[in-house]
Amino acid sequence: MGKKTCWALIIASIIVNVIMLQWTVEAFLGREYEVLFTYNLISLLSASIALFAYFQWRKVEYKKKS
Amino acid sequence: MNDKKKLARNQKDTNDDMINLVDNLNRDEDLKYNRRSFLKTAVGTSVALSVATIPFSVKAMLGMETDYNRVEIAKLEDIPEGDSVVFNYPNDNDPAILIHTVNGDLKAYNSACTHLMCPVFYEKTQDVLLCPCHKGYFDVSNGQPISGPPQRELPLIEIEVDNGIVYAVGRQYRHG
Ligand code: FES
Repeated sequence: MGKKTCWALIIASIIVNVIMLQWTVEAFLGREYEVLFTYNLISLLSASIALFAYFQWRKVEYKKKS
Repeated sequence: MNDKKKLARNQKDTNDDMINLVDNLNRDEDLKYNRRSFLKTAVGTSVALSVATIPFSVKAMLGMETDYNRVEIAKLEDIPEGDSVVFNYPNDNDPAILIHTVNGDLKAYNSACTHLMCPVFYEKTQDVLLCPCHKGYFDVSNGQPISGPPQRELPLIEIEVDNGIVYAVGRQYRHG
């Protein structure tokens, strides 16, 4: 996975998480608990994708040039 | 020229007429604001946002609502058309309002405005629910916001009329 892809994934995950946080609050206030848990899962998933992309990026970025 | 400012010409912030040779070498900032740290901050932001959703789930799991009791609100004859009474449902800290609209309908909602929790009241001349705090209006027939800052509807309280007495029997969030 290239560095560009990692950047794209990370930025995309921020966008997804901002939206999910807003939807979670809405769902919580509206007592829509099933969708709340779904949004929550999506958000956690997207955060882990961001973390994964970050480690990937780090591997490429700090690789010793041989 | 101010004497104090007269630093050697190769020093940072010098006012010397000669070219300031060190101005572009602000190494602290070079280390702080670069592509790598930007990416790290971005990842941190994403994780922080996602962690911020967890408390809502936890709270939701702890506070799952179960059954509703049947609670007496008022005698029908005590609320003529265009009048309203306040009560609490389903708990003592959930204020609610029962309205006998000018058209003769009976409607009940939790009365905490969905904007910032001010109590709403029935405005019979316009047949609407009005939140005085920031001029929020709700439709009395379905509890949906019509104008002003509120975005969500008021929770609907299901009612039942039995022998001239109005009872609250349930509650619906996100109705209609
Ligand atoms: S609290 Fe009701 S409009 Fe702001």
